[in-house]
Amino acid sequence: MSTIASFGFWSFVGIVAGIYTLFALGVQVQFGFAGLLNFGQVAFMGIGAYTMAILVVKEDLNMWIAACCGVALAMLAGVLLGLPTLRLRADYFAITTIAFSEILRYVATNEDRLTGGSQGTINLAGIGRTSQYNSEWQSFLGKVERGLHIGGDAAMLILVWTVALLAVTAIWLMMKTPWGRVLKSIREDEEAVASLGKNVFSYKLQALVVGAALGAIAGLFYAWQFSFFSPDDFAPLLTFFAWMIVILGGLGRAWTVPVGAIVFGVIFAGTRFFDFAPFSLLDSTERAYVRLIVIGVVIIGLMLFRPQGIFGNRKEMVLE
Amino acid sequence: MTAPILAVRDVVRRFGGLRAVDGASLDVERGSITALIGPNGAGKSTLFNVVSGFLPAEKGSVQFEERRIDGTAAYRIAQRGLVRTFQVPRALTRLSVLDNVLLAAPNHSGERLSGVLLRPARTRAHERNARRRAQELLALVRLEEHTHDYAGVLSGGQRKLLDLARVLMAEPRLVLLDEPMAGVNPTLGRQLLEHVLQLRADEGMTFLFVEHDLDVVMEASDRVIVMNEGRVIATGTPAEVRTDSRVIDAYLGATWST
Repeated sequence: MSTIASFGFWSFVGIVAGIYTLFALGVQVQFGFAGLLNFGQVAFMGIGAYTMAILVVKEDLNMWIAACCGVALAMLAGVLLGLPTLRLRADYFAITTIAFSEILRYVATNEDRLTGGSQGTINLAGIGRTSQYNSEWQSFLGKVERGLHIGGDAAMLILVWTVALLAVTAIWLMMKTPWGRVLKSIREDEEAVASLGKNVFSYKLQALVVGAALGAIAGLFYAWQFSFFSPDDFAPLLTFFAWMIVILGGLGRAWTVPVGAIVFGVIFAGTRFFDFAPFSLLDSTERAYVRLIVIGVVIIGLMLFRPQGIFGNRKEMVLE
Repeated sequence: MTAPILAVRDVVRRFGGLRAVDGASLDVERGSITALIGPNGAGKSTLFNVVSGFLPAEKGSVQFEERRIDGTAAYRIAQRGLVRTFQVPRALTRLSVLDNVLLAAPNHSGERLSGVLLRPARTRAHERNARRRAQELLALVRLEEHTHDYAGVLSGGQRKLLDLARVLMAEPRLVLLDEPMAGVNPTLGRQLLEHVLQLRADEGMTFLFVEHDLDVVMEASDRVIVMNEGRVIATGTPAEVRTDSRVIDAYLGATWST
């Protein structure tokens, strides 16, 4: 069976799209709703994944508790990042966030006693001793498989998307509350919101922390799906994937995020089928970069002809 | 005489070498409608920004209801009951007109995550009441047919009205209006003026407003404060101020129509 028709391949695409949905939903909350230019979202993903893996391997902690710790620590990191930076102007805030994520990545690369260093989580228990944080997850996945009489890929697909769609629904409902109204107002005009007695700083911090929690949950699924990761998995490029997803789907709406993630995932995976001329002249590593070009072209085209994204609101885009 | 609701003392605010507000002092009496006038560049808007907490004062003090508010964050000043509008209206364009007004609802439990998650019934009740009040205010400023439109489709004058509805939604005790009538059609302006008078009578609201239309000033206000070059140069009833030679000098030949 060719790759293009195999369930295994497309379920992998689907799992990654589900993880990206969670990850990009955080950016949607921060930027699409609250107007925060967070270019360091990947840091929260890394904190979630690393905290869970380290606590399981080094402290022998129950994986579910370790996972909760990962999310909690990412939220705490959101507070620590936000406290000194959220009063900065939007562009300076953006620069600080990207620095934040890069600092954490370099720390993870060099603190090899804590993180396993550049070799990744395989070295968590020390060099030469293979470590594994994933066994509890695998046995849970096995139970789901047997319970539903499905294969491992399908079980993962269902689990990721259940969590992703629950998160999307939760955010969608939150944005319909008065709390969401304040967030959207801050995106429009901070001063006007402050003049009406709302603590703008506190709301921005809350948006940052909610986004951080979503990023950390995405990080957990990332860790479980791949059974191994290293600091380079959390390079800034991943943050920009989240931005592409949010822009593709449409800004300021929760339900556009899964759509953007699926479109992004399909384009990203689909370019590997470009085995005809002129792409056949490229070797496979070079071809891997073609997908970035394709996504770039799609986004440029979207900005020209459909600036609101696939399901965004055109009317909202043209208002001043 | 009771203590003034707002007492500004010797406030200084510079921009580089320019002393925009240069030792201004003024009192606003509770329940009054006080106009703040003066030629362009007199420091009126800067003083508004200092009083409402959007700019720090370099010197001097501001007291609202006998408590110091200089150095207090703008949002806290608003929570205490001193709410301002802006010279250029600040419509939240990608929100509905109704949401713009609802945003101003004070002490709304639904604006806290704890309220949304833990006390949904109370939050819904708050929201229902807020909605009713917001619709009344929108009817008052004749924007009810735009209730569900994006605020971004409103004209400049309509945005002024939206700002006014929003500021009233916040249930303030002192309202600072920065040129409320600019760009509003005169008939509607007159109706709003009547409503302001009504609010003062019914709820004891106090109004301090900057206005260039001197007809409005003379008709609506019971006290007038005149600023020039960053200082208060005259205070009094409209009739007193009109004949004050310092005021006439400041306006340099401006004619006073009555």
